[in-house]
Amino acid sequence: MHLLSGKRVFQNLARWGVLWALIYGLMNVLSNQFTLPAAPIISLRPQVALPMTIGFFYGPIPGFITGFLGNMFGDGLFGYGFLQFWNWHVANGLMGMLPGGVSRWKNLGTIKSVRDFGMIEATVVLACFVSVGVAVCLDLLFLHTMRFPESLNAWILPAFIFNAVGGFILVPVFFLLARRLVVTIETRTIFLVTALLVTAILATSITITWAMYDNLTSYDAIVEAVYFSGMVSVILVIAGFGSSIYFVKRITDPVTLLTQAAESVEQGDYDLQSIQSVSGRTDELGRLARMMQSMASKIQHREQTLKSQVRQLQIAIDQKKLDRDLAEIVETDYFQGLRNRVREFRKK
Amino acid sequence: MAKIISIHSFRGGTGKSNTAANLAALLASDGQKVGVVDTDIQSPGIHVLFGIDQSAIQYTLNDFLWGKCEIRHAAYDASAVQGIAPPGKLFLIPSSVKAGDIARVLHDGYDVNLLRDGFQHLTTQLSLDYLFIDTHPGLNEETLLSIALSDVLLIILRPDKQDYQGSAVTVEVSRQLEVPRLMLLVNKAPALLDETDLKQKVAKTYHCDVAGLIPHSDEMMILASNAIFALQYPHHPVTERYRQVVKILKSSFL
Repeated sequence: MHLLSGKRVFQNLARWGVLWALIYGLMNVLSNQFTLPAAPIISLRPQVALPMTIGFFYGPIPGFITGFLGNMFGDGLFGYGFLQFWNWHVANGLMGMLPGGVSRWKNLGTIKSVRDFGMIEATVVLACFVSVGVAVCLDLLFLHTMRFPESLNAWILPAFIFNAVGGFILVPVFFLLARRLVVTIETRTIFLVTALLVTAILATSITITWAMYDNLTSYDAIVEAVYFSGMVSVILVIAGFGSSIYFVKRITDPVTLLTQAAESVEQGDYDLQSIQSVSGRTDELGRLARMMQSMASKIQHREQTLKSQVRQLQIAIDQKKLDRDLAEIVETDYFQGLRNRVREFRKK
Repeated sequence: MAKIISIHSFRGGTGKSNTAANLAALLASDGQKVGVVDTDIQSPGIHVLFGIDQSAIQYTLNDFLWGKCEIRHAAYDASAVQGIAPPGKLFLIPSSVKAGDIARVLHDGYDVNLLRDGFQHLTTQLSLDYLFIDTHPGLNEETLLSIALSDVLLIILRPDKQDYQGSAVTVEVSRQLEVPRLMLLVNKAPALLDETDLKQKVAKTYHCDVAGLIPHSDEMMILASNAIFALQYPHHPVTERYRQVVKILKSSFL
């Protein structure tokens, strides 16, 4: 009983994001040890994927709690003070809350299609943008710690770039780990394409920045190089992802249509107008669609022929043969005798 | 006196033995005392369905008719093996169709009255309500005897040309023998056929009632080879069809 209630408390803490907030906070403390060369306050924080993921899984309030409490906890433990940079707590909270709201609205608790995948990634980028924007606005209104244009390079851009890239990579991975990514050809392909895209762009961008690093003499030049390549990466990832969605759908949509068409044939519906668009293609999918249409029409034709044959089926009795066969039996002495005896005992 | 139901088909392989076994088993599980006379124990037949070992069969109906044994020696009780609860009873009575036995039957002037007496003994000693005769295909003299003695003749036919022609002969012959009740059962009907239409056509062609239509079932072909289907699968649609036939058979005696 005691154990059971303990387990329930634990489940509720996880369900409402408090437990995740603790984990998020600890990860923030850890990542604060490793700051970027160009942005001493903003660190590489791939864990921002956590409040966003909790938002997608459990809704806006657990998402907010994870982000808000987690950031506050992390700041406090690290020595910034629990409430010093409260605008960033709010920003982190919103970063979890926004995906939670979108998830409720568009039913994104699981990834079932390329469309879901695309919406989740778009929400991640949007959530990072909004949260950083809110942090900046709150600072401008209440805290007045930022200086322009210095803060743009020191805080705002790095926070957005590294949060967006981290979330973009890790949120789908969390969906996969939590078995909330329904494995279909669609989701498998978009996952693979996204992973390749992000790896390629980031690898190139990091390599170029690194290669230039020794040649850059001033602090400002380093900052500029890092954020220039960072922004280019973000733009490339967004553009590349948009076009991957288009190309992946060009492959997987026909497969989905063909699968549905095969199901409808199985149900006895041979009208395959739905795959007309696919059968116009010149590739293998087009061939498959044309073969399915031709097969379906052959089956339909055969079934109709059989049905009409059955309808025309007549029971034809050859009367001459019948008379002959009958006479062979009936005209024997045995049969005559049998018939007479049967008549006798039936009378009894 | 028990009701004698002969099951006949002009050609072999129509599912005669299976139909006899299933109808008999359903009547028995309904509390009736039922006997099934099998006229062919040489080829593996109905005893396999009843779960009776062929080596256990010592005496046949013929032995009883010739005074060689008591009727109880020629009747094999399958009720326990088939799980039929009292008061229902299910007996299998094999009869010999060995060439020598048939020759002897004909030579000795074996007549209707003798066979009728034999059936009467059988039914009174086992106090049977129904006696099914699983006849030989075709219309040999022994089969004509069985037909002549039946209260109901159930002709099994498959929906094909040869069965249609052959069944017409049986129908005419049994009319001449004045069998009180004549019924047709369409067996192994392909799923594509329109059932009502087919039943109407058959009834119209032979001027005869159609007791039922059993659809062709692959499942049954596989499952029914070594057990009584209706008892093994009491909720199968095919079993439901057999039940309807049983209902019609029972009502034909009212």
